[in-house]
Amino acid sequence: MYDILVISSMKNLMCYCSRIVVTCEHNAKGENLIMTPLSVKICSPAQEFPILEKQNWLIHLHYIRKDYEACKAVIKEQLQETQGLCEYAIYVQALIFRLEGNIQESLELFQTCAVLSPQCADNLKQVARSLFLLGKHKAAIEVYNEAAKLNQKDWEICHNLGVCYIYLKQFDKAHDQLHNALHLNRHDLTYIMLGKIHLLQGDLDKAIEIYKKAVEFSPENTELLTTLGLLYLQLGIYQKAFEHLGNALTYDPTNYKAILAAGSMMQTHGDFDVALTKYRVVACAVPESPPLWNNIGMCFFGKKKYVAAISCLKRANYLAPFDWKILYNLGLVHLTMQQYASAFHFVSAAINLQPKMGELFMLLAAAVPSFFVAVALTNLEDPENARRAYAEAARLDRCNPLVNLNYAVLLYNQGERKGALAQFQEMEKKVRLLKDSPSLEFDAEMVEMAQKLGAALQVGEALVWTKPVKDTKSKHRSASASKAASLQQPLGSNQALGQAMSSAAAYRKLPSGAGGTAQPIKPPSLPLEPEPATGAQPTEAPAQIRETQE
Amino acid sequence: MAAASSSDSDSGRAESSEASSKWLDAHYDPMANIHTFSSCLALADLHGDGEYKLVVGDLGPSGQHPRLKVLKGPTVLTESPLPALPAAAATFLMEQHEPRTPALALASGPCVYVYKNLKPYFKFTLPQLPPNPLEQDLWNQVKEDRIDPLTLKEMLEGIREKAEVPLSVQSLRFLQLELSEMEAFVSQHKSKSIKRQTVITTMTTLKKNLADEDAVSCLVLGTENKELLVLDPEAFTILAKMSLPSVPVFLEVSGQFDVEFRLAAACRNGNIYILRRDSKRPKYCIELSAQPVGLVRVHKVLVVGSNQDTLHGFTHKGKKLWTVQMPAAILTMNLLEQHSRSLQAVMAGLANGEVHIYHDKALLNVIRTPDVVTSLCFGRYGREDNTLIMTTRGGGLIIKILKRTAVFVEARGEAGPPPAQAMKLNVPRKTRLYVDQTLRERDAGTAMHRTFQTDLYLLRLRAARAYVQALESSLNPVSVTAREPLKLHAVVQGLGPTFKLTLHLQNTSTARPILGLLVCFLYNEVLYALPRAFFKVPLLVPGLNYPLETFVESLSDKGISDIIKVLVLREGQSAPLLSAHINMPVSEGLEAA
Repeated sequence: MYDILVISSMKNLMCYCSRIVVTCEHNAKGENLIMTPLSVKICSPAQEFPILEKQNWLIHLHYIRKDYEACKAVIKEQLQETQGLCEYAIYVQALIFRLEGNIQESLELFQTCAVLSPQCADNLKQVARSLFLLGKHKAAIEVYNEAAKLNQKDWEICHNLGVCYIYLKQFDKAHDQLHNALHLNRHDLTYIMLGKIHLLQGDLDKAIEIYKKAVEFSPENTELLTTLGLLYLQLGIYQKAFEHLGNALTYDPTNYKAILAAGSMMQTHGDFDVALTKYRVVACAVPESPPLWNNIGMCFFGKKKYVAAISCLKRANYLAPFDWKILYNLGLVHLTMQQYASAFHFVSAAINLQPKMGELFMLLAAAVPSFFVAVALTNLEDPENARRAYAEAARLDRCNPLVNLNYAVLLYNQGERKGALAQFQEMEKKVRLLKDSPSLEFDAEMVEMAQKLGAALQVGEALVWTKPVKDTKSKHRSASASKAASLQQPLGSNQALGQAMSSAAAYRKLPSGAGGTAQPIKPPSLPLEPEPATGAQPTEAPAQIRETQE
Repeated sequence: MAAASSSDSDSGRAESSEASSKWLDAHYDPMANIHTFSSCLALADLHGDGEYKLVVGDLGPSGQHPRLKVLKGPTVLTESPLPALPAAAATFLMEQHEPRTPALALASGPCVYVYKNLKPYFKFTLPQLPPNPLEQDLWNQVKEDRIDPLTLKEMLEGIREKAEVPLSVQSLRFLQLELSEMEAFVSQHKSKSIKRQTVITTMTTLKKNLADEDAVSCLVLGTENKELLVLDPEAFTILAKMSLPSVPVFLEVSGQFDVEFRLAAACRNGNIYILRRDSKRPKYCIELSAQPVGLVRVHKVLVVGSNQDTLHGFTHKGKKLWTVQMPAAILTMNLLEQHSRSLQAVMAGLANGEVHIYHDKALLNVIRTPDVVTSLCFGRYGREDNTLIMTTRGGGLIIKILKRTAVFVEARGEAGPPPAQAMKLNVPRKTRLYVDQTLRERDAGTAMHRTFQTDLYLLRLRAARAYVQALESSLNPVSVTAREPLKLHAVVQGLGPTFKLTLHLQNTSTARPILGLLVCFLYNEVLYALPRAFFKVPLLVPGLNYPLETFVESLSDKGISDIIKVLVLREGQSAPLLSAHINMPVSEGLEAA
């Protein structure tokens, strides 16, 4: 019947009629009830037209209760009775299709609705929404703009337009639309999207501003609280970060992200037992989370339970084999366990996996594993490769004098005075630079070692730089840690932050473990050492490892 | 005694167990055959004898046979069929004089049926909506045969595109017709006046001028054409009319009509509009960004259940107060009012077969039911003050009585750490072997490392050699020469003795076709026979996969298999571009034979 109708002149009607056929097929399932010739009905003289909206309320009640089967039955009945004219029935049918994942079908039905009542912004909104879900963002924007003409004060349209623009990477427009949405009516979702834009643009401060407002507006939204906490964490404002994460945990004690972030902060402060108890909750909720097992592993490492640490880290590595941070931590623990061969493998795997981006953090991170490889290789009596690793570390590192010092010691032990001297001078340069920042303090062992090496190399002015260092020595230690932290902060997105924190914790946790256990390393690791170095030799290994955290 | 123990043991926890339950199980009939919504349940002393009855607007098992049922205790007192599905039921006092028996109103379709003493008393029908004047005009012209159906059709289309007032069903139906049917339709319907009728979606009651329990009440109707109507209780005239931006689904009213009242209407667009006495338009708007599934007013707080499994509390000015996450989808909500303790709480029937009772954010009580509860009602039933009536999805009826001694106590203080925190971490154990290996590595780390390095170098060396060799003899399946970038892979199908050998040849260059290639098979002629051992390859269009099929006959009956070499050659060149060694499977067909 309807196929013939399509001949009709109006374009819209054509679309509409063919759509109705679709509807019939979906709802009547081939029972041909809608297809019954109209003429039969027309012939009956006392025909009353049914009220189109008669059962809309029932359809709606079934729909909101998620009783979709009952809902479909009523829709079918209603559409049969009204011959596909009941707009709301088609509308809900389309909504159900969309929930069931048949987005294309739902889109067609929504278009039918839009034809049935062209003045209704709601139908257009749903058409746009379906287009959006199909990934056709540009088309969705067009339809939303149409809808916006019909209804100018709808936050939903503005919000969704904003989201579409985000996907199209037109952040300025997205920004404007989302602000419009907020202006019309404030919703958590809009705040989250707005924050996301700023994060995508890398503007942490503005993102924090937005999230702050959002938290003010809805103080119990754990997602907002957690995100804000993580952002503060990223900026190194620990007090506020902890406050917000804590709030999130009060409202939802099983919030996975918040626990992980709070746990890593506790780890930073050495509260390993508390962190572990917190992690238990996460372990129940998300037992296959790599960052979780990484953090648990580093907790055990902090508690000097190395076997447990290795077990957990290996599980994390099993869950996320390409996460360089986990590999790095594994290398670290193995180094502490004096399993240099394993340590070498893990750290070199970490270096191979880690993306080589030009950012500061990446450089720092790249230098540290290279340095570790070198340490491992030194201990493995592989001086050739150790030298290469040191060279790489020295190339990547910008501010760490210990890399050069260790390199110099190695070269000296290898009998290469010239190279050693060059590295020694490089180290002095770095020390001079660092000297200006008063918060930094040098390790006593390092200074001693440097002096000895300086004497061995017969570099006269060694005293010149050691003196100011000694002055700064009285300064409290924590500062150095915070410096390292601030260096490690600018890392990627929110999700990665938990992981980042965990590794940050790992870097810093190093000394407590390494300092203690690395002492017995001293065996004559470098056979060709000349006399002056013998005295220095025992301290070398601890100095090397300890440095990395600064 | 039992009462004392129950209230003691219940303090601090909201769970209800068998022994300490606050409820008496009065009645449970899983086959009661009642299918309804909370809005179609009402409790009232219909006969004025102090015995409260339950009025149920029953939709019937599949929405087919709507009935009005009146229950007394566990039994059905009267049952009468309804002309259409009931959207809402309410009891209200119509007038002042004695005996003060409440009337029963049942909204269904465009009508409100009013019953007194369970006898039909009055039928109120919503007034017709004014038709679109343009449309009316058109049909009038048709009536006078001034325009033909085609013109009518085009004009109506035009109206539908632009007009604010929607078309009548008659016009809409006409627009659907084919050319041939228009005449008949027009001649049949042109004499009729066009009508637009709307239906009632929801109904509630509003006290007329006194706040007393037994004061006269007006009916408040929500209609499909986005309006709210207030009816006079005696004359059934429309006292007030308010319009909303969307279709109302749930209504919540407080105050008196003649004095001041607040009307909250949860609508289909997911918003809740709040109106006051003098406002024709909504005063405040709460945007939920989800569909409301229930609306209950507790004192001054509007409690809204959304279909995202949350319960929200709002002030009557639309400010959000709190949010509670539910363990499952909310199906229905209603108010629990315990007059003796002046307690008001919200009951929410959830999809997991529980009924949760909340006082603000605090969970007071959980009732587990054998089936999913779809409608709830609390109040005086029979002669018992605090009775909870629930109907289930399967059509069951559950009646529970609140123990007179029961006190609802909020779970106080902090919820404490989640139970998962007490569980031990499942740290993988390490074996003795692992420890031994660790020790060995400590002792002989250097040696291990050196061995590893040596082996690694050797491995690399071998890999490199093999690669060079493969490149030299064109043994690799992918040719990367600039002129003929080719990809080859072969598939052998069949059990034998005849196999089908398919070579898939692909030109991987971006634009250039390849012409003049040859394929040659090298094989042991004692073992295999091929129809053609040498053939030309057709022109290879870039990107397409060319399957070249050939049959291979296995000649040996000894179960031996061999390698067949495939060479892809260029005309005029002796070195192959590509070559592949195909390990032929053993012919199983022969073995079986």
